[in-house]
Amino acid sequence: MTQEPKVRLRGLYKIFGNNDKGVLSHVKNGVGKEELLVEHGHVLGLQDINVDMQAGEITVVMGLSGSGKSTLIRHLNRLIEPTAGEILVDGEDVMQLSVDGLRGLRQTKMSMVFQKFALLPHRTVLQNTAMALAVRGSDEATQTAEAQKWLDRVGLSGFENHYPAQLSGGMQQRVGIARALTANTDIMLMDEAFSALDPLIRTDMQNLLLELQEELHKTIIFITHDLDEALKLADHLVILKDGAVVQQGEPQGILMNPSDPYIEDFVSDINRARVLRVKSVMEPLTGTEFAGDVDIRDNLESMIARSGGDTSLHYRVMDGDTPVGELHMRDLVKALVPRLSSSEA
Amino acid sequence: MAFYDGLFKALGLSDWCDGGASNAPMSMADLLAQNSGTDKEGAFFPFPSLDNLNESCSGIIQSRDVTKGIEDGFLAAKPALKTVLDPITQPLSWLLDGALWTFASVPWFIMIPILVAIAWFASRSVAVTVFVAFSIMLLGLVDHYDVAMQTLSIIFVCTGISVLLGVPIGIAMSKSDRLQKSVVPILDLLQTLPTFVYLIPLIFLFSVTESKLYGIAIILYAIVPVIRLTDLGIRLVDQDVIEAANAFGMNSRQKLVGVELPLALPNIMAGINQTIMMSLAMVVIASLVSAPGLGVNVLRGIRNLELGVGIVAGIGIVLLAVILDRVSKAALSRVDMTRVKH
Ligand SMILES: Nc1ncnc2c1ncn2[C@@H]1O[C@H](COP(=O)(O)OP(=O)(O)OP(=O)(O)O)[C@@H](O)[C@H]1O
Ligand SMILES: [Mg+2]
Repeated sequence: MTQEPKVRLRGLYKIFGNNDKGVLSHVKNGVGKEELLVEHGHVLGLQDINVDMQAGEITVVMGLSGSGKSTLIRHLNRLIEPTAGEILVDGEDVMQLSVDGLRGLRQTKMSMVFQKFALLPHRTVLQNTAMALAVRGSDEATQTAEAQKWLDRVGLSGFENHYPAQLSGGMQQRVGIARALTANTDIMLMDEAFSALDPLIRTDMQNLLLELQEELHKTIIFITHDLDEALKLADHLVILKDGAVVQQGEPQGILMNPSDPYIEDFVSDINRARVLRVKSVMEPLTGTEFAGDVDIRDNLESMIARSGGDTSLHYRVMDGDTPVGELHMRDLVKALVPRLSSSEA
Repeated sequence: MAFYDGLFKALGLSDWCDGGASNAPMSMADLLAQNSGTDKEGAFFPFPSLDNLNESCSGIIQSRDVTKGIEDGFLAAKPALKTVLDPITQPLSWLLDGALWTFASVPWFIMIPILVAIAWFASRSVAVTVFVAFSIMLLGLVDHYDVAMQTLSIIFVCTGISVLLGVPIGIAMSKSDRLQKSVVPILDLLQTLPTFVYLIPLIFLFSVTESKLYGIAIILYAIVPVIRLTDLGIRLVDQDVIEAANAFGMNSRQKLVGVELPLALPNIMAGINQTIMMSLAMVVIASLVSAPGLGVNVLRGIRNLELGVGIVAGIGIVLLAVILDRVSKAALSRVDMTRVKH
């Protein structure tokens, strides 16, 4: 990427405890999370996080419970103060902001969607949606118009005057998303936004998000502990473990080349045929005879269906109208087996 | 020969002991004991109290010197305290007198509809409103309308002031753990002190003819729950919602007015309900220090053994209590209703 990242985290550390700056040197000298807790009574939240988040992309941060995902996302708008490190938004150091400057950043640059929705129970859906505008002090008419627009967009027309408690979880989270969209910020922070929803609603919401992203091109930082969700949404995937980044990069790449047993474990359960795409297994274009053309974005599952399971076939891979490579069904089948088991064999 | 003589001799303090003699006035009990000629020498091993030690060694003060000392201290501090407290508390007297005058001078056929209307707007409940109307009529029927209005007016003023002072104090406490730590013991003290004990320092400071005397006693007693529950209510507000408010860049005023107070309102209302009930309890006791109202009749019943007068006034107090409780509870549940669930 040549473009300046929208958000950069540089050497970010977070230690929970009274003397966090004091024990930082231990962490830098390689003291682990457990040792720090037992010997120094401090909880290691994040260590040496370096992540660039590109404008217009969905950066997904994934990790197991307690790996520090929520802690990480709350640093971006300084709901949590770091122990050390830099947080740059549009090249500006968030740590240098005054109280007013920080409030301005939260009002105009970042909006947030929460796992537990966190709507105001005493305000109507419309008032909740208009919250960011009300905070900024824009006039009543603008508030209503904007809020209405986004409520319609997330499919909640007709519920304006309901109270949050009258809506189902999925609908409440739609309000949460409409509230964040109404704020009209470049950056959206989503902390396990869909984790509290049941699987069908969850798929709906993921599709809604992708659809919105298609037209809005926001910079979205999305937290999840679900690999399927991560792979579906991510342009850039960051995997956290015990407060440290174990691997980050393009999701297909991580799936094909997990750098760590932890990630191999993670990816071994996934339906690879559905997640992996032609792009990840294709070879440079050399041959001339092909059984047909396929799109670079097709997933492997559809290729297996198309070839009828014949591993001797070769296809030409197209990106739009230009041929970009070739696909050997034999490679495809090999890619379906996670590297872990292939190395054991 | 007193029991502890030997002790002071052994310590070699005899000289010092004979030096000073107590000059505190004798209490009535001491005088009586002296006259009847009985001496307390009978005890085999008396407790080493100040008085018993004093018999062997007049250099040691007597217990009555202690009470006298406290009294003198209080009296010495009184002018200074008065110059500070008098101007601050004077408006309370005016308010109480004004309210008493207003309630007394508005004719019953206007006053009763106003009260019934207040009950309706606070509770929006037909049953509660009818009950209020019925109770006031009943009080009027047995000629207790005037005294009941006096009691009610004092409760209005004292509850109003308690809320005006208590809610901001509660808010401040919820924002500062240090403040909370230092205020809670005071609140505990105010709540555990027997109600009579409040009256003692107040009688010293203010004259019994001033209405602020009982006003302060009532407020000190009744303000506690509204402070406690405001503090608690704000601290209990869902932290996720607070985080959302922060994430959208609310300033502390927007957060307080737009999020914390509305979400703490059910708790604050519960505090106000208790404050009202405690003002009623205290206004009865404050009749000892000239607070007018139903309590005066109860007092008369006790002092003169006028059983009927006391009981009727007592029933009047119960009626008032039920009215105030029902109305404020109905208002409370209405506040909760805005968090519609159905
Ligand atoms: N305020 C705090 N004080 C002390 N430790 C904390 C605090 N907040 C978080 N932690 C610790 O930091 C670590 C990371 O917590 P965090 O909430 O970021 O995890 P998470 O990845 O979001 O987990 P989950 O998926 O359960 O939400 C945990 O070990 C947690 O105990
Ligand atoms: Mg979390």
